[in-house]
Amino acid sequence: MEEIRIENLTKSFDGFIAVNDVSLTIKSGELFSFLGPSGCGKTTLLRMIAGFEIPLSGKILLGKQDITQHPPYKRQVNTIFQNYSLFPHMTVYDNVAFALRIKKLPNTEIDSRVREMLQLVKMEDQSDKYPNTISGGQKQRVAIARALINRPQVLLLDEPLAALDLKLRQHMLIELMNIHDAVGITFIYVTHDQSEAMSISDRVAVMNHGSIIQSGPPDDIYERPASIFSAYFIGETNLVPCEVVSLEEDYVELKCDAGVGESFLIDSTFHFRPEIGQKLTLSLRPEKIAVSRTKPRTQDDINVVKGIIEDILYLGTHTQYIVKVGSLKFRVFSQHKRVYFDDKALDWEEPVWLFWHDTDSWLIDEDTPVGLEYSDVNVFERPFQMSRSVKRQHKSE
Amino acid sequence: MKSGRIYKNLNLTVFTLVIVFLYIPILILIIFSFNNSKIVAGWQGFTFKYYQLLFQNTQIKLAFQHTLLIALLSTFVSTVLGVLAALGLENKRFTGRKVMNALVYVPLIMPDILMGVSLALLFNFLRVETGMITVFIAHVTFCLSYTIIVVQSRLKGFDNSLIEAAMDLGAKPWLIFWKVKFPLIIPGIIAAALLAFTLSIDDFIITFFTSGRGFDTLPIYVEGAIRRGTITTINALSTLMIGFTLFLVVITKRVRKLLL
Amino acid sequence: MNNSIQSYKASVLEQRSINNKNLQSWLLSAPSLFWLTLFFSIPYFIVVIYSLLVPGIYEVKFQFSLQAFREVLSGVYFKPFFLSFRLALFTTVICILLGYPVAYLIARSSEKWKNFLLVLIIIPFWTNFIIRIFSWRIFLSSGGVLNDVLLKLGLINSPLEIIRTDLAVIIVMVYVYLPYMILPLYSVIEKIDFTLLDAAMDLGANERKAFFKVTLPLTSEGLFAGSILVFIPALGAYIIPQLMGNQNSLYIGQVITYKIKNIPRNWPMASALSIVMLILIAAILLTAYSLYIRKVSRKRYEIRQNI
Repeated sequence: MEEIRIENLTKSFDGFIAVNDVSLTIKSGELFSFLGPSGCGKTTLLRMIAGFEIPLSGKILLGKQDITQHPPYKRQVNTIFQNYSLFPHMTVYDNVAFALRIKKLPNTEIDSRVREMLQLVKMEDQSDKYPNTISGGQKQRVAIARALINRPQVLLLDEPLAALDLKLRQHMLIELMNIHDAVGITFIYVTHDQSEAMSISDRVAVMNHGSIIQSGPPDDIYERPASIFSAYFIGETNLVPCEVVSLEEDYVELKCDAGVGESFLIDSTFHFRPEIGQKLTLSLRPEKIAVSRTKPRTQDDINVVKGIIEDILYLGTHTQYIVKVGSLKFRVFSQHKRVYFDDKALDWEEPVWLFWHDTDSWLIDEDTPVGLEYSDVNVFERPFQMSRSVKRQHKSE
Repeated sequence: MKSGRIYKNLNLTVFTLVIVFLYIPILILIIFSFNNSKIVAGWQGFTFKYYQLLFQNTQIKLAFQHTLLIALLSTFVSTVLGVLAALGLENKRFTGRKVMNALVYVPLIMPDILMGVSLALLFNFLRVETGMITVFIAHVTFCLSYTIIVVQSRLKGFDNSLIEAAMDLGAKPWLIFWKVKFPLIIPGIIAAALLAFTLSIDDFIITFFTSGRGFDTLPIYVEGAIRRGTITTINALSTLMIGFTLFLVVITKRVRKLLL
Repeated sequence: MNNSIQSYKASVLEQRSINNKNLQSWLLSAPSLFWLTLFFSIPYFIVVIYSLLVPGIYEVKFQFSLQAFREVLSGVYFKPFFLSFRLALFTTVICILLGYPVAYLIARSSEKWKNFLLVLIIIPFWTNFIIRIFSWRIFLSSGGVLNDVLLKLGLINSPLEIIRTDLAVIIVMVYVYLPYMILPLYSVIEKIDFTLLDAAMDLGANERKAFFKVTLPLTSEGLFAGSILVFIPALGAYIIPQLMGNQNSLYIGQVITYKIKNIPRNWPMASALSIVMLILIAAILLTAYSLYIRKVSRKRYEIRQNI
């Protein structure tokens, strides 16, 4: 099993730069995801790894082999296409056997390997059917079998779950993880759906405008976003524009301009050293904020602000509050646990206290963009966060 | 991806060759219609004289009139009949469907010569003199299949919810047809008419068998001229006809754009 | 009890409306039906009748005779049929070889090019049939442009005699019939999902293998339609061999035409030959159709089995 190294890969179409000088290394056996909005370049990157596009400059190395200029049929890389692209004029069996027939292997060997693959994806009794008679989920399994029979080093998955409905998507996601465990090869997954990427990946690369904004394990990306884009694109967050007031040994004091009133303290164990007067953005995840009508007994490592409840969304497992603090709107997720629950439920227009631990926020070295309305994203547009207990152990070499 | 490029180049080469193949004879024709020489090769100077001779030739003028007359008449009849039949065939439970389909589709793959021979024999059997009427009948016969198919395909894409909306608003069937359906299938009718017109002007072999002495259409005249060898004005005539074709193509495109 | 009466009434009304619509369809189709029966179907019966009569110099004599068929079956006319069959075959094959790359190229080009290229291919097609043949006579004749150019370039020493040969006939046949191959092929190729080719290459097939294993099978319908549209009309070719061909080898279209137009006429013979041509065409269509149906119905059978 080899690792994949991408070095300074650039690709443009008619002057539009789709992939901009991207470099990274994907470890062997990893389940690696490229995550980003449409047009961010992730699909182009995938196609270059597969061999359907030739980069303008840069290299792709599989182990020690430079495969940048190799056509797709010369690479030990196989792709699962977005619409599966099963051959409509061939049966399931013939689709899966295709690659082996090209290699002109003896029929007995082909037969045993095809059956083995079909068993892996649980389609062994459908082998005589034509693609137009099987369901979407079944098509996907055939596509996986067809690709894996080659025993490639890398499997590329181009938004494989996009065409499935929600329940099926959740089911197939787990199946993909099981197959990855069973087969053990490197999976490179491309999607715009962050819950997919975050829940199954060993590492995620967040992309925008052709560049990788941040890459790392999912919890790294979530808890320690390197840019406003990462913080904003993944999950929900509150972006608070601040200015550094003073630097102390074990904390930094920030002042927020938007009429918030208080100043914040942040635990100084973070990744860069700001300067006094520097304008930064504080990312505060909604689930880290507690809300109550009684002011907490002040502790040194808690930040407190006062606000008024503007909106309440009851979501079963938790309630989402939009709280107006100064000229900002904070989004707060309040799980229905005894510890935070007041005797009487909070009401609209009620004045409340928001508080969070000073290690629970994250400082981003960017100025907050003007006009970024973070309460305008409808909570129902984003898929619910999948339980992060499904997080996989990163396979270290 | 080197071998991929080889195939792309191969395709492009064949394509260019085909384009050259398709256009060279026509271009030669046009160029030499202005050539001041009886023998075709060898440029002898630019001239309009063959065009002048063309316009003085009464036989050609007569043949042209005949061609146009037949084309207009047969277009009209075959289009009207075709529209009616296509509307009739819309009904999926029509008991005459199979018969109609056979009558419509079979002529399309028959060699023209068989239709020509069979019509010639029919007219002989019925003791009908070959001439304008017989040519007219023949043209309608072969155009009918085409007009029916064109209008049918236009009807297939018709949004029936429009009819339902009209009924919902209180319109009676007859009104619905004239005010809702008919206006929307006019593009199909025009396409069918244009096709019939073109086919009629273009036809040689069926006309050859159903016209007698004395009723020439342009293709018949040209063929005779080629056989006799009197081809001096044919170049000029051909150029004009090519121009007319281009004109028709442009009109068809414009009409289609307008009505879609 | 009321329910069943109501549903009976409803079904009667429904039946009445179906009948009405049916009548309406009959009325609308009647003129065309009548016309085509009278001028398409019935003439073929006349042909059969005439094939069993006695030929006269000008007119046919209404006496029963099997003379025409005896002569046909004696094998005298084998050569024209064979030549026509061969011509149709060559024409179809060349049209496929030239037409497929053209159709493929157009189908794979961007939207704005597609329309332009299609029009480019169709314009010569819309030019008058006789004119197109005429233009080739000019081009290929001994004093014509091709010979002129080749002589001037020094590639040949004396003019090539291309007209009045089988080669000229095939050239012009391909010229005339090529669009009938290109258009059906184009419409089929255009509908292919080209990511299937990506998938094939991804799985190890190079461009050539991907074409033969994926593209070609998926376009077989277009090839089939195009071949039928070229082969069958080409069988009955008359005017192209007549104007471009060698008068020593006659094609069946020419034979039939001579027997109708030339004096002495032999209409029974022409009829008999036409009937043989019809039978030949019917046989070809039936074989092709059954081959095709067998392929399609096997798929359908399996689909039905699995539902």
